[in-house]
Amino acid sequence: MRILVIEDEPALLLQLEKGIGDAGFVVETAADGEDGLFQGQEYPYDLAVVDLGLPKMSGIEVIQQWRKEGKDFPILILTARGRWQEKVEGLEAGADDYMVKPFSLEELLARVRALLRRSTGWSQSLLSCGPVELDLTAQTVQVEGSRVEMTAFEYRILEFLMLHTGEVISKVDLTEHIYHQDFDRDSNVIEVLVGRLRKKIDPQNKHKPIETLRGRGYRFALARSAS
Amino acid sequence: MSLNRRLLLSATFVLFVFLGLTGLVLDRAFYHSAEQGVRERLQGQVYSMLAAADFNESKKQIQVAEPLPDPKLSTPQSGLYAIIYSAPEQLIWKSKSSVGQALPRYSTATMADWHYEQLTGNAGRAFSSVSFAVVWEDNNQKRYQYNFQVLEDRQQFERQVSQFRNELWGWLIGVTLILLMTQGFILRWSLTPLREVAMDLIKVKAGDMQRLDKNYPQEISGLTEGINTFIDSERAQRDRYRNTLADLAHSLKTPLAVLKTGINLDAVNQEDVDDLQDQVDRMKQIVDYQLQKASASGRVTMGVTTPLLSNVKRIVSSLNKVHANEGINCQVKIDASLFFPGEEGDLLEVVGNLLENAYKWAKVNINVSANQKKINNKNVLQLYVEDDGNGVPEEKRQLVLQRGKRADETVSGHGIGLSVVQEIVSVYGGDFDITDSDLLGGARMIVTIPVV
Repeated sequence: MRILVIEDEPALLLQLEKGIGDAGFVVETAADGEDGLFQGQEYPYDLAVVDLGLPKMSGIEVIQQWRKEGKDFPILILTARGRWQEKVEGLEAGADDYMVKPFSLEELLARVRALLRRSTGWSQSLLSCGPVELDLTAQTVQVEGSRVEMTAFEYRILEFLMLHTGEVISKVDLTEHIYHQDFDRDSNVIEVLVGRLRKKIDPQNKHKPIETLRGRGYRFALARSAS
Repeated sequence: MSLNRRLLLSATFVLFVFLGLTGLVLDRAFYHSAEQGVRERLQGQVYSMLAAADFNESKKQIQVAEPLPDPKLSTPQSGLYAIIYSAPEQLIWKSKSSVGQALPRYSTATMADWHYEQLTGNAGRAFSSVSFAVVWEDNNQKRYQYNFQVLEDRQQFERQVSQFRNELWGWLIGVTLILLMTQGFILRWSLTPLREVAMDLIKVKAGDMQRLDKNYPQEISGLTEGINTFIDSERAQRDRYRNTLADLAHSLKTPLAVLKTGINLDAVNQEDVDDLQDQVDRMKQIVDYQLQKASASGRVTMGVTTPLLSNVKRIVSSLNKVHANEGINCQVKIDASLFFPGEEGDLLEVVGNLLENAYKWAKVNINVSANQKKINNKNVLQLYVEDDGNGVPEEKRQLVLQRGKRADETVSGHGIGLSVVQEIVSVYGGDFDITDSDLLGGARMIVTIPVV
């Protein structure tokens, strides 16, 4: 999951980058509205955290511009004033949730996860597809009731695929949402990771949860369980 | 007393005195000139009598040649009478018109001096009378004095005078009425700008106008400019206060945010972290509270109103977005004609905090309604937010309303919301109450705000 954070206070931006990154997300940052707007326009993001009071271009304008251009990733706004006027204006501009400064990192992460879930159509933080269960909050995976240990990148790939269950995800998409911008896209690391993932969650090759569609990408093929 | 009435009353008084005196003077003048006319006419009659009279030497008596020059003297009861007495007071001759009339005699008749007087005859009949004495000498140079008297019935004179008076006063009253009407009209017209200013002030108060911006006449432009300056400075001052406090709070907030997010990442000792966290939370609450308080502008702004329904809907659709997938059903039943008597920011703050609270506690249903009614003879706007949550227990209600306290510490971001509502509502001179909702079974928040 690739998240853009736009915040002009360097200390807070650094903390957010570290905190959100440590929680298993790919974080890109921008320190002003113009840079943030550009990044949101140019790169695929799963979510943006936008401070409303930004230099060069206000957070509201950035959000409005994105929405006008059809960007539909969820947006979490940060407001310093906490005035309802500001919250309402932000939400009306196209944001999906708000947080009033100062906030705890846990709460921010909870909101971020909830938004990501909602934007992909999941209503609970436990993603359940047949025998595979992924807990977004605890970041754990269980297959047929028993816990499966995996590396951070394996987890990220599975999380992304499961959140978008049934959709075809190209390798480029996957790379962009899992790795930082400066990642070498030509390497075959994704294929390696997907291969390892298959072995871990489906050792007997029984359920075939991750399909490969030649030349198009991957698809998480198990249907969502009715909750 | 209104300006209009003062001006009208004083002008009316002056008008009546002036026209009354004018009337009196004209009346007197006419009366005197009419009287003078009668006198001259009667003198003329005496002259014509003298011309018609001649001394008869043989009878040693004067004789009057008939017919007399004025036919009225020959017509009985014509109102004009002539009598000649010899001195001492013996009737020598009288005109035919005086047949059967008892005519009063003059009081005195002297030579070379006209005597004009008013006499009263039988049954109170009034006469104007001119008397004049003439002396004839016969051939033996004996002198005979004759007193001529010409009388005129004053009835005709009185009729003339009263006719004049009727006409005069009739005209004067007519002119007075026209002048009064004109004056009333002029007053209305001249006072229109003042009335306009008054109306505009009411509009400013009601929020339909920002300032007194029309072109007012020079005489009152000083006043309207003064009012505008007052409005502006009041607004500027309010903004300044608000900005100062907001700046202060903001400058505190960023380091707080850094501290708060930093604690979890870098601290080692859990106890220290907890202490630090508590302190930061407290500071955050204080700053939040002061900031909200500072931004509650309240009634200090003259005349701003904000439509209620559309702004409540903004909050509801915002919260629906934030609480999507939670299955909350928020009903809004507010008449579109209702207005909140204050700034949009304050309304959003009140409704936002009330509804945020309701969304947090409601199981499924929230109901927002409002009405305007009279309480203790004052117009108030009442806003109700009800939910089907667990409600607020009696003993916790006061606590919830207290400054910066939270009834349930576990619900994040729940601390200052209701006390902010309380703060804003009290700035507007209103009330904030928490009761049970009969409709939904949860809490019912009631905000009551006086409306001008």
